[in-house]
Amino acid sequence: MKTAKDYTLYELLAVNISKMFRDDDVGFTGLVTGDQTAVMASMVPLAAMSLAQHTHAPNMTVLLAGMLHNPDLSKLTTVPNSEFEPTSVDVDSEAMMLGFPAPWCVNRGDITVGFSSGAQIDAYGNMNSVCIGDHDHPKVRLVGAIFQTEHLALFGREIITMKLEKRKFVEKVDFVSAVGYPGGREGRAKLGLSGAGPEYVVTDKCIFNFHEVTGRMQLYSIHPGYTPEDIRNETGFAIENLYDAKETPAPTEEELYLLRNIIDPKGLLLPRSI
Amino acid sequence: MELKEKLISMKEAASLVSDGDRLAVGGCAIHAHPMAFLRELVRQKKKDLTVVGSLNGLDVDLLAGAGMLKKVETSYVGLERYGLAKNFRRGVEQGEFQMVDYSDYLAFNRFHASLEKLSFWPCSYLGGSDILAKNPDIKEFNCPLTGKKYYAVPPADPDVAIIHAAAADVYGNVLMPQKRLVPQGVDVLMARSCDKVIVTVERIVSNDLIRRHNDLCFIPKYRVTAVVHAPYGAHPCSMPQFYNVDEGHFQEYVDASSDKENFSKYLDAYVTGVEDQEEYLEKVGVKKLLSLDLPTFI
Repeated sequence: MKTAKDYTLYELLAVNISKMFRDDDVGFTGLVTGDQTAVMASMVPLAAMSLAQHTHAPNMTVLLAGMLHNPDLSKLTTVPNSEFEPTSVDVDSEAMMLGFPAPWCVNRGDITVGFSSGAQIDAYGNMNSVCIGDHDHPKVRLVGAIFQTEHLALFGREIITMKLEKRKFVEKVDFVSAVGYPGGREGRAKLGLSGAGPEYVVTDKCIFNFHEVTGRMQLYSIHPGYTPEDIRNETGFAIENLYDAKETPAPTEEELYLLRNIIDPKGLLLPRSI
Repeated sequence: MELKEKLISMKEAASLVSDGDRLAVGGCAIHAHPMAFLRELVRQKKKDLTVVGSLNGLDVDLLAGAGMLKKVETSYVGLERYGLAKNFRRGVEQGEFQMVDYSDYLAFNRFHASLEKLSFWPCSYLGGSDILAKNPDIKEFNCPLTGKKYYAVPPADPDVAIIHAAAADVYGNVLMPQKRLVPQGVDVLMARSCDKVIVTVERIVSNDLIRRHNDLCFIPKYRVTAVVHAPYGAHPCSMPQFYNVDEGHFQEYVDASSDKENFSKYLDAYVTGVEDQEEYLEKVGVKKLLSLDLPTFI
C-alpha cells in the first residue's frame, strides 16, 4: 500500500481513528457543525467510523447524534446542522431514536465506543464542560455536563477529540463533569464505573493515550510536521514520554480513495481546504 | 353532563403558574420550546421560578434575561450553533440564581422517577464526579438486596409541565408526530411526570381526527389540564413538521442578549411591549413566518 503525500489534517485524523475500531463496535457521536472544533468533534469521527465499515469493521454500528443508526452518508445532500434539526428525521438510516433512551441500553453496555470533546481535559482524563473557576461563582459558565458524564462512565471506551491548547489541556479541571483516572487505573476501578474510560485523545497535532498503571495522559504519536516541543508548548501539564512517541502514520492512497470517492463524495463531512 | 372542553386563552393558561413553582419546559436547546407561553409568563411578571429540565436553551435564557429565575436544574443550557446562552451565563456568573448540574441521562431519569412517583432514582455511576460532589441532595446508599453502592438522585418533581405540541382537540387529546425527535420524546416524558400539564399547540383538530390517528395520541386528555391554540408558538425556535428556526430573529435575540441593557430593549420590543402572541407575530411579519415553513405535517 502506497502512502499518500497530499492529505488534509482531517483525513489524517479520520484514517487513524478508523483503526481504533473493532468489527463489533457500536459507536456514538454527537452532531455539531461549523468550525474546526465542530469538524473534529463530529464529522471526523463519523468519517472514521464509516471508513472502518468500508475496511476492517463492516458490522460496526454508527449512531449519528446518538439517534440515527447507520446513516447512509453518501446519500446526504446537506448535513443537518444540529442534532434535533427537524430535517434530521429524513436522513436515510436503519433505526432512529424516538424517545430517550431508546433503542440502545446504555447501562447494559450497548455503546462500546463514544466520542466527546470539552472545554477542559486534565492529565488524568477528567473532563469539564460545566464552568471555568469555582462552580458557585464561576468566571465563565459553560453549557453543562450533557451526556459527557455517561460517555466516560458507561460507554465501553471513549475517544476524545480536541484542539491542542494550553488552556484546554490542564493539570486539573475546574469541574469534573466526566471521570477519567483519578488515583490511576486502580482509583478508577474502585469507583465501580462499568465503562473503561478514555482511551485516546486525538488532537490537531498529536494523539495521546493513558498510562496503563498511573492513568496519566502520555503521547501515543505525533502528527507529521510537528516536534515534541510543539506539543509541549501547547500542553498545560508535563508529558513524561515527550521524546519517545512515534510519528502518526500518513493515510494510504487506498484509504484516501475510499474517503474522497465512496464515503464523502460531496465533501460534506471533511472540508477539503484544510 | 357535557364533555369538558379544556381550550383556554394564553393569559388564563399562564396564570396557572404560581410564583415559586418548579416548571418543566418542553423542547430542546433551540427547538420546540413553548416560547409563546414563556413570553406570556414574562408579561405576567412571575418570579422565583425553578426550571427543571434535561436539554434547555432559549427557554431558560429568556426567563434568565427577564429576571424570573430562582434555580435551574438541568444538564445543558445552550443555543447549539448560536453558542452559549448569554443571559443564562451572565445570571449564573453574577449569582442571580442557583445552578444545579445533572448529567443528561440522569436529568431524563429524574422525570422517569416522577412518572413512577418514586422518591429517588438509583444511579450507579456518579463516583468521582463533581455532579455528585457539588450536590448535597444526592445521597449514597447500598442496595438492600445485593449491597451494591448506588446514589439516590432526587426526582424532577415539577409543579407544572408546559409543552408545545403539533395538535390537540379541545378536550386535551394531544397528537405527536410519528417521526419524533428527542424534543418530542422529552415532551411526552414531562407530560407524564406531573399532574398539572399545559399544552400549547400549532393546530386545534377535531376529535374525529384524533380517533383516526389514535396511534399518535401519546398524551391522552386525562393527563392534560389546559390546551392553548398557539400557532408559531415555538418561534423563533423550530417546530418539527411545521417550521424551521428563524435564523434572522434568533441572531437578533443572541446579539441583544450580550448585555442587560440591550436585552431589556429586546424584551420591550417583542415581549412586554406587545399584548399577546398575535401582536408578536405581526411584529415578526407574515413574509418571515411563511419563509420558515417545513414541507410535512404529521
